[in-house]
Amino acid sequence: MPLEFDRAILGQEFDRVEGDPVTVDELVAFARALGETEPCYVDPAHPELVAHPTFVVRYRGRKFLPDTLPDPLKTRMSFDAGKDIEFGVPIRAGDRISVTSSLHDIYEKTGRSGSMTFVVVRFTIRNQDGALVGTIDNRMLYKR
Amino acid sequence: MAPRLGFDDVFEGDELGPEDWFLAKEQVRDYARANDICFPRFMDDEGARAEGLPGMIAPGNMSMGLLTRLIEAWAGRGTVRRMGTTFRSVVLPDRTLRLCGAVTQKDEAARAVELDLWIESDEGDRLVVGTATVQLA
Repeated sequence: MPLEFDRAILGQEFDRVEGDPVTVDELVAFARALGETEPCYVDPAHPELVAHPTFVVRYRGRKFLPDTLPDPLKTRMSFDAGKDIEFGVPIRAGDRISVTSSLHDIYEKTGRSGSMTFVVVRFTIRNQDGALVGTIDNRMLYKR
Repeated sequence: MAPRLGFDDVFEGDELGPEDWFLAKEQVRDYARANDICFPRFMDDEGARAEGLPGMIAPGNMSMGLLTRLIEAWAGRGTVRRMGTTFRSVVLPDRTLRLCGAVTQKDEAARAVELDLWIESDEGDRLVVGTATVQLA
């Protein structure tokens, strides 16, 4: 039976968080863990030090899912099925990053392993100037 | 780091890599710490098995980071505009991964290219697949 839910819950913001200033150590540790050697990512003294592009995935807010998630999904195990990222301006040391979370979409698919529901949470991430750092659509898979 | 690649120097069908990369458990732990996601599944085999997994796994986000590194080594820093990935299977550490990509389409007006991307296991299975848009000079 298809999942029934009120589509008015889509697009609703359910979390908004502003983080502490980004540190040089955080930028360097992240890039080194990916095996990066480019000085602008891993040299703490580099004048143009910036975050590795995927550093933006660190920002998830405090709540990963909204309270309005349809009840049948709340008790099912979920898996991270993938992400779509639109990259904006680079993150630099000292930036204060804010993340806004909204429920972007819920849809169902039937595959070889049966019926699956996907929940897409959108994280919109900005720096202290309001510039867009990135938009991340995170797809969570719920199996029946 | 390679200088920014020119749009006119790229052709549909061009390949990125492949780059073979041994993914050590300690590197996965370093990534989990740096990403503030020190869940048992990313820290050791015992913790992962307690969660019903075959053993310690790498975060999906780490796969995106490795693929971004592959793109930037080819096209230059700051060239990735968009990336989409599907995590098809768990990525297990202490194995060699193969990072791969190919140019699928050129957009003359935007001077950008579309890529297919994937990570293969040492058995040739595609564990992560995706696409990206890359801005060229």
